[in-house]
Amino acid sequence: MQSLLEVSSLSVSYGGVRAVRDCSLRVEEGEAVALLGPNGAGKSSTLRAIVGLVKSSGDVTFAQESITGLACEKIVSRGLTMVPEGRRLFPQLTIHENLMLGARDRRAGHEVYDDLLDRLPILAERRNQPAGTLSGGEQQQVAVARALMSRPRLLLIDEPSLGLAPTLVDRVYELLGELKAQGLSMLIVEQEVIRVLNFADRAYAMANGTIELSGTSEELKNSDDVKNFYLGTET
Amino acid sequence: MDAILTYVVNVISLGGTYALLALGLAVVFSVLRLINFAHGELMTLAGYTLLAGIVLGVPFWAAVIAAVVVGGIAAVIMETTAFRPVRNANPATLLMTSFAVAMLLQVIFQNFISARGQAVPVPSMFTGSIPIGNAQISIIQAISIVASLASLIVLKLFFDRSRWGWAIRAAADDFETVRLMGYRASRLIAVAFLISGLLAGIAGVLWVMQRGSVDPLMGLKPVLAAFVVVVIGGLGSLPGAVIGGYILAGIEIALQTWLPESFIPYRDALTFVLVVVVLSLFPNGLFGKRIAEKV
Repeated sequence: MQSLLEVSSLSVSYGGVRAVRDCSLRVEEGEAVALLGPNGAGKSSTLRAIVGLVKSSGDVTFAQESITGLACEKIVSRGLTMVPEGRRLFPQLTIHENLMLGARDRRAGHEVYDDLLDRLPILAERRNQPAGTLSGGEQQQVAVARALMSRPRLLLIDEPSLGLAPTLVDRVYELLGELKAQGLSMLIVEQEVIRVLNFADRAYAMANGTIELSGTSEELKNSDDVKNFYLGTET
Repeated sequence: MDAILTYVVNVISLGGTYALLALGLAVVFSVLRLINFAHGELMTLAGYTLLAGIVLGVPFWAAVIAAVVVGGIAAVIMETTAFRPVRNANPATLLMTSFAVAMLLQVIFQNFISARGQAVPVPSMFTGSIPIGNAQISIIQAISIVASLASLIVLKLFFDRSRWGWAIRAAADDFETVRLMGYRASRLIAVAFLISGLLAGIAGVLWVMQRGSVDPLMGLKPVLAAFVVVVIGGLGSLPGAVIGGYILAGIEIALQTWLPESFIPYRDALTFVLVVVVLSLFPNGLFGKRIAEKV
């Protein structure tokens, strides 16, 4: 049986500089997969290429259909979406407007919207407030909720803990945990290695645009290479 | 008192037309980062459509609707044929394309219609005036005020209540993330051009009704004024475009009303001096923010 997402030999270049080289990875249905790596390793470029925001070479298959070369909006309509790095909410739009923009259509959107506000009461209280006035943690919750509005089968999340205080990161991962328990598949780019390895089922580690290591989260947590390279501990 | 009332009426009338034009420019700028200098030619095209309707004996109201609709359709055709092929080129290419389209349309108007102005006979019911106190407001001016305010209200409802309205407002901040929400870039840009063209059509009809004529270069001056309005309001700011429209009209009418006669030839120069003062105090316009480079 094929995986939900299969990426084969993906390469991304910016003006002749290769940011990602021959990257291959997969995400199974219901699985949370982490993509680790230092700054500039090519993690975000990999996510952006999968979702069609940057041009790439290689093959990307989602739900047994090739999405290679498709425009971003067509990929999103097939059930694959992304929470971008830095949340990228529309600050002048209200929370309600931000969320409804993520819906595929108004009627289906209202059902998901009501469900999300039940789950995130803090956002329900502030639904008519401009998104730019929220704290970082609340903004991250809105960003995840906005991506969920299209009822995705696979969520790509770029640096969910970026710029957040540890308690807020806990809240964000709590939300991701609830989504994982409901069977949502995820590919998470994260620099907080321990936290994401404790969360994910499997992980890939990137460096200099290529995937250097892969395995279950337990295997990577115990890997000397990961300890040396990402955690800075001597073995 | 009457002078002030007349001033206010003139400002609301001219400001409304400037606001409609500037909003048209701002809507396109918000999705494409392009100031479309061919916007004025959409006004001219609406003016010629109105004239054609009147000459062909179409009821005036139908000619007005046709003029506005032609403005909208022409804007969409302009986007698909001229701007879409160079959409991902650098901003200078887009700007030069807009100048080229403007000149092409001007030449077409000159060669296929006439290089001279054509009188547009407005029905006699619009030629009177309404007394307000001791002041008089022309019926056309009153129509202009009502039509521009009604258009602005409808547009406000569109931007506040509809998903496409939210998407255009959101695209002004971050077009890429709007695409991540599943909105097709081409469709969003086409909708923005359609709105822009409809606004140019309405402004064109109001402009022609006030002037009583249409000529191939009619759109040039108002589009330059609208460009100044968009800069004053802040590039990419839709509320800024509306407020900027009324500010520029306020400056222009004040200078026209109260400037000594010997200074009248310098009126436009003084207007732009005041604009420079506004921009030196607010370099990004009154409601603008730093424009991030489009990725």
